Amino acid sequence: MMTFTWKIGGEAGFGINAAGSIFSKFVARSGYYAFDYIEYPSLIRGGHNALEVVIADEEIGTLREKIDFLVCLNAETYQKHSVRLHEKSLILYDQAEFQPNGTGIKITLPFKTILSDLGGDLVMKNTVALGASVALLGGEIKILLEILKEQFAKKGERVIQFNQKFAQAGYEYILNHYPTLIHRILTYKKNNNKVVISGNDAFSLGVVLADCRFYSAYPMTPSSSVLHTLASWQEKIGMVVRHAEDEISVINHAIGSSFAGVRSAVGTSGGGFALMVESVSFAGIAEIPLVIFLAQRPGPATGMPTWTEQGDLLFAIFAGHGEFPKIVLAPSDHLEMLRLAAEAFNLADIYQTPVIVLSDMFLSESHRTIDEEKIRKLAHQYQIDRGKLIKNLERTEKIKPFLRYQITEDGISPCLLPGTDGFFYQANSYEHLEDSHTTEEALERKKQVEKRNRKIQTYLKNHFQTPKVYGNLEHASMVFVSWGSNKEAILAAIRDLEEKNNLKTALIHFSYLYPLDKNVLLSLFDKNKQYLLVENNSLSQFGNLLSMTLGIEIERKILRYDGRPITSYFIIDELKKNGDIK
Amino acid sequence: MATLSDFNGYQPTWCPGCGDWGIGIALKMALVQLNYSPDNVVVVFGIGCSGNMNDFLNAYAIHSLHGRAIPNAIGVKIANHRLKTIAVVGDGDCYGEGTNHLIHAIRGNHDITVIVHHNSVYGLTTGQVAPTAPKGMKSKSTPSGIIDQPLNPLTLSLTQGATFIGQGFAGDTPHLIELLKKGLQHEGFSLINILQPCVTFNKINTYQYYRERGYRLPKDYDPSNYHLALKKSLELDDGKYPLGVIYQVKKPTFTNQLTQLKERPLVENEERRKEIFFQLLNTFK
Repeated sequence: MMTFTWKIGGEAGFGINAAGSIFSKFVARSGYYAFDYIEYPSLIRGGHNALEVVIADEEIGTLREKIDFLVCLNAETYQKHSVRLHEKSLILYDQAEFQPNGTGIKITLPFKTILSDLGGDLVMKNTVALGASVALLGGEIKILLEILKEQFAKKGERVIQFNQKFAQAGYEYILNHYPTLIHRILTYKKNNNKVVISGNDAFSLGVVLADCRFYSAYPMTPSSSVLHTLASWQEKIGMVVRHAEDEISVINHAIGSSFAGVRSAVGTSGGGFALMVESVSFAGIAEIPLVIFLAQRPGPATGMPTWTEQGDLLFAIFAGHGEFPKIVLAPSDHLEMLRLAAEAFNLADIYQTPVIVLSDMFLSESHRTIDEEKIRKLAHQYQIDRGKLIKNLERTEKIKPFLRYQITEDGISPCLLPGTDGFFYQANSYEHLEDSHTTEEALERKKQVEKRNRKIQTYLKNHFQTPKVYGNLEHASMVFVSWGSNKEAILAAIRDLEEKNNLKTALIHFSYLYPLDKNVLLSLFDKNKQYLLVENNSLSQFGNLLSMTLGIEIERKILRYDGRPITSYFIIDELKKNGDIK
Repeated sequence: MATLSDFNGYQPTWCPGCGDWGIGIALKMALVQLNYSPDNVVVVFGIGCSGNMNDFLNAYAIHSLHGRAIPNAIGVKIANHRLKTIAVVGDGDCYGEGTNHLIHAIRGNHDITVIVHHNSVYGLTTGQVAPTAPKGMKSKSTPSGIIDQPLNPLTLSLTQGATFIGQGFAGDTPHLIELLKKGLQHEGFSLINILQPCVTFNKINTYQYYRERGYRLPKDYDPSNYHLALKKSLELDDGKYPLGVIYQVKKPTFTNQLTQLKERPLVENEERRKEIFFQLLNTFK
């Protein structure tokens, strides 16, 4: 696979994120695949922002070690990232600001002069840089101009032309001054339709696909863009999106609307989820379907709000007082995010219980190019399944109670749409009888506990999916075990280890995290194999879950907890440190 | 048409003489008289002696968590705004644990009726002070008397923009029925604060106490006059209790302002067509 990493950095507030998303779109429309990743502090102005885009000729979902092209909108960008440059890396900078002193091919571009000559503001450096980048990578300027036109469509023709002028200026400067340095990386090639989506976009699209009609949230990085995206769509798609006063209210809004028969979801990160937890338990006993989107960031408390970690796994799994069934899913990539988001609504309806979709900043905020056809196929295959929800029921003359918590073999009771003529029942946070009235009778309590618990067995039988195995477990000398957003990095490491070290490795990767089926999973593990747990946290939370459920202890661990994502080169470094490879 | 017996659930377990009996019967009467039936009303109950009405009143219901009945009720209303939605809560529930939700429900003018059992104690947990307890009141959690001054629910809701505020007395059922009917008929947020003696744990705010200090608002009282309403609300701080509709004004409700709910309730929308999904997908190209 051809890969090429372009990275842009500058002061917060200088449109680094915008430049990155434009560049990712440019890559896709030119016929290539992109994966981007943003690094930013929890600030609006000041501080350092950087965004890298990995360009590839196949789909890609992870970062590469070396930066091939570094766009420095300030000197700090160079200082912070030059460590990842190599001899042939392109470095775009303005010599009026600083002079790079290390390795790489230096390309100075007079940002300030260009901007002041054409009457532009300093914050438009990013647009000049985009034009110059397109030129240096052999791309078509007209594709970039088209994207800028769409980007500024709402602001009118003048703003569009103004921005296009700066992109054009950057582009021409390179053609005129550095014609020999032009690389043919993004030469236009005819291609099939592609989309560029973030993990949060994928979740939002899953919400639409599943016909979820109520989403409530309180802003919290890195989940907020789901709130923004769905809010901007709500009128078009006939959904209500509500920014409530706090996360406790958020989840209780959703419990109310779900009770009333509308597919409902909430979104948050660790701190907000902590506030919701009492109500997760409420949804558990009252048997209310609910989808919770939990995009993790490093804690504890406020932690590092704009960075990434998988530190809330056990918190999510064990969230809520008392005992009740809960399903936890952790998508391994953007496409699976879309599939599992939509699937989560089916599972919530079928099992009438909370379903958590676990993401993290790395998956939520990174954009990935995906062939549109893959998503279309997935969407065509998806069918809404509302489980045992009854929308019409023949009434008797006398109004009578509906057996909302009827004891059933599979643990799932029929549910009647509130407002249906001739019946009534309650969703009860207290222990209850089959007809939903409160009870403290020992036998009735036992029956309801066992009924709820049976849903776990039904789920394991009907919907649990075993982890995916990549590579050949038999031939592998080392088997990685991981979950969620680490998959792509590990797959890249597997390829690198085979190519560069002639080492055969494999991966057992979990997306259906909880509950786990011990009987099915035990057969995947062999006492004589060497397993290596990879997690983006410090206490190997998934390892603990495995040892708790399966009685298997994975001794070797690669753990990252510095707020940065797992990458193939992080894994390989760890193997080197341990002496597995040279 | 539903009758009172259709609404009758279990025999209540409230203490003999508890003000909740009066509130329970008044609410059922109000619902019957307004032609509601257990299958077209949603009642969300908080946790406390008040919330225990869940088993005594037949209706589509949620027995919620302590403090969270209001956001549940708002969620129900957004999902199906044609359902009459009521929250039955206590003063510990609504003015303590869930005060935040009360304030924000008022801001949104959500079309729900919040019926507060105001007894100044936490009855179900054996009588600790509620946020409405008079300063100095002794209880198990405040053996030397409560230092905090009581919260005034009427001025609080009035100043935050509530569009209907009523005050009733559990010992005056006929008046309470009429007040509940007005609140239930109000389009928008309605708060009905009901003074409710707790005969077991509150030896100060007794029936006698409220009979001496409560009075029905005169017939010529103008509930649309904000400043008058503010004056009446402030009487609580001096131990006087005006009874009736303190304030009422017409404003658009939350769901009335959502264009996506113009044609039908959210729950009645047709299943979303996949074309919409593909249209949105196009915007990511």
